[in-house]
Amino acid sequence: MSHPEQRIIVLDGTDVPDRDIIGGKAWSIARMTKLGLRVPPAFVIPISECARYHENSRTLDDDLWNQIMSGVTSIEQATGRVMGDPEAPLLVSVRSGAAVSMPGMMDTVLNLGITDEVESGLAAITADAGYARDTHARFCHTYGDIVLKADLDPYVCGPSPLEVRDLVAADVGRSIPENPYDQLRQAICAVFDSWESARAKSYRRHWGISDVGGTAVTIQAMVFGNLGDESGTGVLFTRNPLTGESVPYGEWLPGGQGDDVVGGTHAVKDLTELARTMPNVHSELLEWAGILENEHADVQDVEFTVEKGVLYLLQTRGAKRSPEAAVQIAIDLVQEGLITAEIALSRVTPEQIRSVLLPYLAEQTVANVTPIALGEPACPGVAQGIGVVDPDEVESRAVAGENLVLVRPTTSPNDVHGMIAAVAVVTDLGGSTSHAAVVTRALGRPSVVGVGDGVAEGLAGKELTVDGGSGRVYAGYLPLESTRIDDHPALAPLAAWASEHCPVQVVPHTEGEVVDLDSVAQVLDPQTGRVDAQALMEALSQASGPVRSSVLESAEGASALLESGVTVVVADPALPLQLRLIQSDRP
Amino acid sequence: MPTVSEQELSLDFLAVHGLAVRKAAGPGAVADLLNADETAVAAIFDAAMAEGKIAGAKGIFMVAPAGQAWLADQYPVVYATAREDGELTAAYERFERVNTQLLALFTDWQTMPAGGQRVPNDHSDPDYDRVIIDRLGDLHERAERVVGSCSAAQPRLGRYLERLEAAYDKVLAGDTDYVSGVRIDSYHTVWFELHEDLLRMLGRQRQE
Repeated sequence: MSHPEQRIIVLDGTDVPDRDIIGGKAWSIARMTKLGLRVPPAFVIPISECARYHENSRTLDDDLWNQIMSGVTSIEQATGRVMGDPEAPLLVSVRSGAAVSMPGMMDTVLNLGITDEVESGLAAITADAGYARDTHARFCHTYGDIVLKADLDPYVCGPSPLEVRDLVAADVGRSIPENPYDQLRQAICAVFDSWESARAKSYRRHWGISDVGGTAVTIQAMVFGNLGDESGTGVLFTRNPLTGESVPYGEWLPGGQGDDVVGGTHAVKDLTELARTMPNVHSELLEWAGILENEHADVQDVEFTVEKGVLYLLQTRGAKRSPEAAVQIAIDLVQEGLITAEIALSRVTPEQIRSVLLPYLAEQTVANVTPIALGEPACPGVAQGIGVVDPDEVESRAVAGENLVLVRPTTSPNDVHGMIAAVAVVTDLGGSTSHAAVVTRALGRPSVVGVGDGVAEGLAGKELTVDGGSGRVYAGYLPLESTRIDDHPALAPLAAWASEHCPVQVVPHTEGEVVDLDSVAQVLDPQTGRVDAQALMEALSQASGPVRSSVLESAEGASALLESGVTVVVADPALPLQLRLIQSDRP
Repeated sequence: MPTVSEQELSLDFLAVHGLAVRKAAGPGAVADLLNADETAVAAIFDAAMAEGKIAGAKGIFMVAPAGQAWLADQYPVVYATAREDGELTAAYERFERVNTQLLALFTDWQTMPAGGQRVPNDHSDPDYDRVIIDRLGDLHERAERVVGSCSAAQPRLGRYLERLEAAYDKVLAGDTDYVSGVRIDSYHTVWFELHEDLLRMLGRQRQE
């Protein structure tokens, strides 16, 4: 026999196999290790094994299983931990990873390898029995939910592992394995099975993605942020994602582990605390984050864990950012030479520009003004109008041109027409996920929810200024500020590049005749509020000379405009439409 | 456990109820909601107009205050059996649990976390969006079971599942307005009509 066929790949940085071979997750790990950054040890079962598994009547053959075991051994050697050993337990995560991620693929299983014995061991090592128990219960919940497909409500801290096990067994008639290797085998099979799930198949059918191929399985060691004083977990943004300022920004949870970051169970500190307690780790983190930002040429959101003074990177991805930050960062990255102006133009959306241009309340305007109602901010933006309780009344008076704020105890589907007609919405009850919040965000109406029982109705008949960004409602019409593109240090250069790169000339004003497409054709379906692409196309094809229309900034509008060959469009401001056209013009 | 069969309910009642759920609609949309004949619904609307129960113009109708009062009187009688039906009320409790998760999902779709705050989702991260659409698929599978139990008790409610399916299908095909768009039969729109329908049937109050 010649060389044995290599059916797993250890992700130790010696090689970065193609994304199509090992999937996105493993590729990202391989890329970080290749850059010399420390990530928890991992190996991947490549995509090609998925098809073999299905050909093999959905079983892992002995040869593959033996190679998987040797992969586990390589992680054990690298970490000094052993699967199932209560003294030094190895826990792993198991993730799916297709070349293109798609719905229906199995979610991540964390903390695989935990058992009753390992739980006791973990309790001793971490000196935190509550943590060990919760980790075990959470693992049972996740495993039951995604590997065994039990119908469970979302996890809440409290039930014991045994209770969760019973709940799962009662629902699916199968138990969660007590042996770590059985857990691993089942979880790997569940990842491969998910390639053939109804949802994944239907997604591939919709998008014309071939059923040939499959998903890889990535197995990675878990690291612990709760092993004594020199441990913890955190998130680092390479720049401030709210303002765009070029200063690292993040959260550090000393002694925190995994879900604590989102769970809010530990007191969050900022990164200066890490700099104070572990200066070496802090500077290593900043250096590595910088390497990742350069490599990706974009602001990164880096998740990390420190275990006994050793830094591990868990994940990096492009940071999500506020509209203001999106503009600032795009400009800064061009000035720093990391990206071209053309790329900058693809990184800012028309909606973000619209959002930055919205009128706002200056800090000094509201500094000494007491709001008459205070609630949860549900949809950002400032609007002014008179409070009205009845949605029918809002609708009829708005037609006559009045600016009205819908003020109600709660909203139901019966109030949607009033929410459409209102300039803002205020409700007594409900939080940021209430019906009112969902609808106002879909409509882009500033809204404040949960101002308290009976408060909203008290606003009826009053002139109101509603700040949906801060959750405050003020009496009267306070003066508003607005941003001018030409005066803005980041918008002005962006606008100049946009004019240079836009495939169609967009001007704020023009001398001479302009065809208003909204008045010559019904370009908007009044029932659905969606663009009638055909009517728009006809109107465009008949236009000679400059045109204007309210619908060109939509995706349908922009592609119709580009196809029509119309060369001059009037829009004020021009920038949002220019960005839409530039972004639609690319394949 | 005997349940009220929808066939036993008069279309006179259901058509006005259906209009109340849809708020402002023509006979076609209400007939679609009820899986009923459009001309029959149109005829009932004409009669209900004459009685002052509903009002309308240009083919779009709304339930008038007199009609809302009439419905309020009718519900406890018409749905007396349904309100005692343990399976239906259990399904409703399950519905509320899925509802909480769906509302959170719609919020996650519309906003995204950035540095500890939530900002509007600019849909620039396909992975973020895909995870949410995947969760929608997951919740849709749970919704199938819940609406299935509801329609076992009240067959008319099965129509909501078809409409939810259609919305989910559009989302999968890339028409993501159908997650939480307002003027269209998005997943959120249909789900909320179903919510309103159940609240009216069972005489419950909206929690948020």
